[in-house]
Amino acid sequence: MNAYDTLIIGAGHNGLTAAAWLAKAGKRVLVLEKRPVLGGFCMGQDDARALVPFPRGIIRPDIIRHLGLEQFGLNPAPVSTDLISLLPDSRQLILSTDTAKTVESISQFSRPDAARWPDFVRFMARAAAALEAAYATPISPLPKFSISQGLPLAQLALKLRGLGAKDMYAFIRLLPMSAKEFLDEWFESDILKAALASLGIHNANLGVMSAGSAYNLLHQYLVRGGWGQPAQDSRQIIAALERAAKSYGAEIRVNAEVERITVENARVTGIRLTTGEQIPAACVLSSTDPKHTFLRLVTPEPLDPEFVWQAQRIKMRGVTAKIHLAFDPSIRFSTLRQPSVPESNSPATYIIAPSLAYLERAYDAAKYGQISENPYLELTTAGNLLSVHFQFAPYFLKKSTWSDETRNTLEQIALTTLAEFIPNLNSQIQNLQSLTPLDLETGFSLTEGDPHHGQLMLDQFFFMRPIPGYASHETPIKGLYLCGSGLHGGGGVSGIPGRNAAKTILKK
Amino acid sequence: MPSHTYDALVIGGGHNGLINAAYLARAGKKVLVLERRPIVGGAAVTEEIFPGFRFTEFSYVVSLLRPEIIRELDLPRHGLKILPLPSTFTPLENGDYLAAWADHDDTRREIYRHSPRDADAYDDYARLMVRMAMAVKPLLSLVPPDLASLSPRDLLGLFKTARYAASLSEKDLYALAKLITQSSADLLDDWFETDALKGTKSASGIIGTFLGPRSPGTAYVLLHHYMGEIDGAFRAWGFAKDGSGGVTASIARAARALGVEIRTDSPVEKVIVKNGRAAGVALQNGDEFHAKVIVSAADPKRTFLQFVEPKYFPDDFVAQIRNFRVRGSSGKLNLALSELPEFTAWPTTGPNARPPDPHRGAISISPSIDYIERAYDDAKYGQPSRHPYIDIVIPSMIDPDMAPPGQHVMSCFVQYVPYDIEGGWTDQKKAQFAENVIATLEQYAPNIRRAIIGQQIITPADIERIAGITGGNIFHGELLLHQLFFLRPAPQWADFRTPLPGYYLAASGAHPGGGIMGAAGKLAAQEILKDWK
Repeated sequence: MNAYDTLIIGAGHNGLTAAAWLAKAGKRVLVLEKRPVLGGFCMGQDDARALVPFPRGIIRPDIIRHLGLEQFGLNPAPVSTDLISLLPDSRQLILSTDTAKTVESISQFSRPDAARWPDFVRFMARAAAALEAAYATPISPLPKFSISQGLPLAQLALKLRGLGAKDMYAFIRLLPMSAKEFLDEWFESDILKAALASLGIHNANLGVMSAGSAYNLLHQYLVRGGWGQPAQDSRQIIAALERAAKSYGAEIRVNAEVERITVENARVTGIRLTTGEQIPAACVLSSTDPKHTFLRLVTPEPLDPEFVWQAQRIKMRGVTAKIHLAFDPSIRFSTLRQPSVPESNSPATYIIAPSLAYLERAYDAAKYGQISENPYLELTTAGNLLSVHFQFAPYFLKKSTWSDETRNTLEQIALTTLAEFIPNLNSQIQNLQSLTPLDLETGFSLTEGDPHHGQLMLDQFFFMRPIPGYASHETPIKGLYLCGSGLHGGGGVSGIPGRNAAKTILKK
Repeated sequence: MPSHTYDALVIGGGHNGLINAAYLARAGKKVLVLERRPIVGGAAVTEEIFPGFRFTEFSYVVSLLRPEIIRELDLPRHGLKILPLPSTFTPLENGDYLAAWADHDDTRREIYRHSPRDADAYDDYARLMVRMAMAVKPLLSLVPPDLASLSPRDLLGLFKTARYAASLSEKDLYALAKLITQSSADLLDDWFETDALKGTKSASGIIGTFLGPRSPGTAYVLLHHYMGEIDGAFRAWGFAKDGSGGVTASIARAARALGVEIRTDSPVEKVIVKNGRAAGVALQNGDEFHAKVIVSAADPKRTFLQFVEPKYFPDDFVAQIRNFRVRGSSGKLNLALSELPEFTAWPTTGPNARPPDPHRGAISISPSIDYIERAYDDAKYGQPSRHPYIDIVIPSMIDPDMAPPGQHVMSCFVQYVPYDIEGGWTDQKKAQFAENVIATLEQYAPNIRRAIIGQQIITPADIERIAGITGGNIFHGELLLHQLFFLRPAPQWADFRTPLPGYYLAASGAHPGGGIMGAAGKLAAQEILKDWK
């Protein structure tokens, strides 16, 4: 008998969620993590001198309840921070989960928009709830579903109908729209629309005028729990998930890089580490992205050529770079920005997204394989660290490759842009580090540097994520499952695909 | 004030209005068509703009007209004659060209010249698209259901839609789902490597659409253009004898033969509402007509925001129609020519002279996907493309009646030409738009400028002014995913009925959308007859 029932490749939030869920159900689980720290992309670089970026996230409330994460130290109700759009004229727009505060801020730009805001927030909450329900629905390989497989879909359909005709259609219409079209139906202020539309292109190889960016907007709103990034950094999330998984009996090994998922007669037999060590198991979950799983960890022989072709065509196309800045610890970020404004204690997420045309032009560069000269930036702060999310920095550059020279260009563009909006910042920078899309690929096994493990586009949505017919977490190889962000509901720190994968396996 | 009574009044004598009227008359109804202009045809008209030169002013090719409509209305007997456009010729910046010929093997050989790999992929791609067009075809004759309704009619519609989806193989269903949601660039990148081939094919994905080929949703538009059939052959495009006006003239003849009365020069002022029902139509000259059923073949904005006071519709519905996207994206430059354009890539005179074969087909200025995407970039910031995509046909090569002997008419469909341009359309801007087109053509056919003896410039604003289509969108509303099937033109009202009893929509703004297709006109007639008591 094998020592483990289940091996999980990768100890990011989804791998750990699946591990804890399965261990709690009595499975003997081993998690294998390539790096010396857990958390995957959530935990940033492992270099001790590195400026550690911590993406933020919210584990879905049902996962927190089921795994009892609160008792393992996780804050059950983290708030989304304010999203503050910095404008060139030193004005700013604040989007907060506090409606009154937001209405007040919007009214400096448009009174009709301020008046519509409460309705908009109500609609977004309902639409996000519908999307969350869709994400919780197990997807059977259409159209050969049986009653038991079709039932959840029917339940989802009923839930959608329960929204009432108006909101149901508004939800359905929203998904294929461009962020701009969607927001044009609500608001008139370009500044407000641009700030909201920035969520529609976040991590996406899309512009605010590209069809489908409204879906990404709603997805980001759901996983953030609001407009800004959640206040909770993912260190807490990973630590709680680790404690939970271990307490339920899962084992976790770091510095254990999987070289191959071993397969015999189209059935998984276990894994082989780069050290040559073989670990047998009848069930393997991969939380790495689907391209990495199917094209690197599995040899092509057991896979149908058509399937391999499909896997090769999954759109990753990362467009995100990160730049981390450290400034003098005695200086608070907000005072750098506006010395006259009194210091606020609550952290905020700042964006450089002054107009819809600005965002669209930033994306235009990516279409032609260039780094945006006027990028969309999102800034989060932690102590004296500033993490800059930079778009668009395409993985596939047309006239060059990612090198010291292009990295330098990237950093210079970021600093120049920041200086326009935060005049006092540059003189205070003590240290700077950047992660290009290529670094994301080499450092975090994110194929093509896509943090979402596959673009959140309509043709990679629902039963088409990651590959049409394989959205159920199962793969053509018996016993091999996917549980990472590349699956239905994935993208952002939420634990959704990890949970869904565990539930699928437990039903077997 | 004269007043007349009919069973049905149809507003607008374009192809859908005429087809709708013909089907109603065929069922024994007394029908009057009211056309604003002195001629019928709407956006499918042929007019002699310069003496001896007859222009297919707007719509210029035929393919999508449903074969069952041609059959049922016996259109060939009424003069419909479609002449095939045998080839597509894409001249390239380097003096070479890419062509698709009528003969399949010739086309394969031609593609092979550019890329052996693409020549191999070509047949598989064509098979996929034909299969997908076949798969979508039943949807064209389906009345979209209301997903929120529990009425027997809608549940039946839902059942029919589900049964249709279940009838597709798993593979086709997935391929179709991908196709509907993808960008045309992604679709074509999966198959081909030759820039000109991808550029030319991607162009079908942007026609009438305010999106670039890299935007999701454009692969569906590409498929929409694949649904055309001529004599059962998919993806066959043709040119009607006497131009597109020849198509509508034949439909008008068929309609008249069935007893339809057609009044031209009869612009409608408003729809008369009595006791909560549409009861008649008042013309701008004060004439009134009364009927049990009023059908609008105008675009949704005109139909619901102009002809009828908004108070007769629910607020949500009015908001939906206001939000219906009708951004015009294309224009035309119709040229009267003293001689044929002489393409550098295909000389018809001199030592290397060849017969003017490409001139008999479509000529496409679409050297690459990036070229078209950049054309879109100009338009999305409010300018006509500096280097536009141009789809050219020379009707006088196919139908000699279109121009004086030895001279030619050339129809240039141009994209992108936004309706809303910075500062609005002025004569100067129109001239600049024409200059962009001519300068682009000149790169490939240097004699074009001196060959021009007359030109007609048509911007989306002109389409709106002349053909009466709001926003100048050739499809009466963009073929965006959120404006298709049960969402076209508005959720819950995609079955050709409207919130005003007795009032129907029967044009391209309804399912299944634009092109000289006629499906909306026919389907609406079926629904009207179902409601007739």
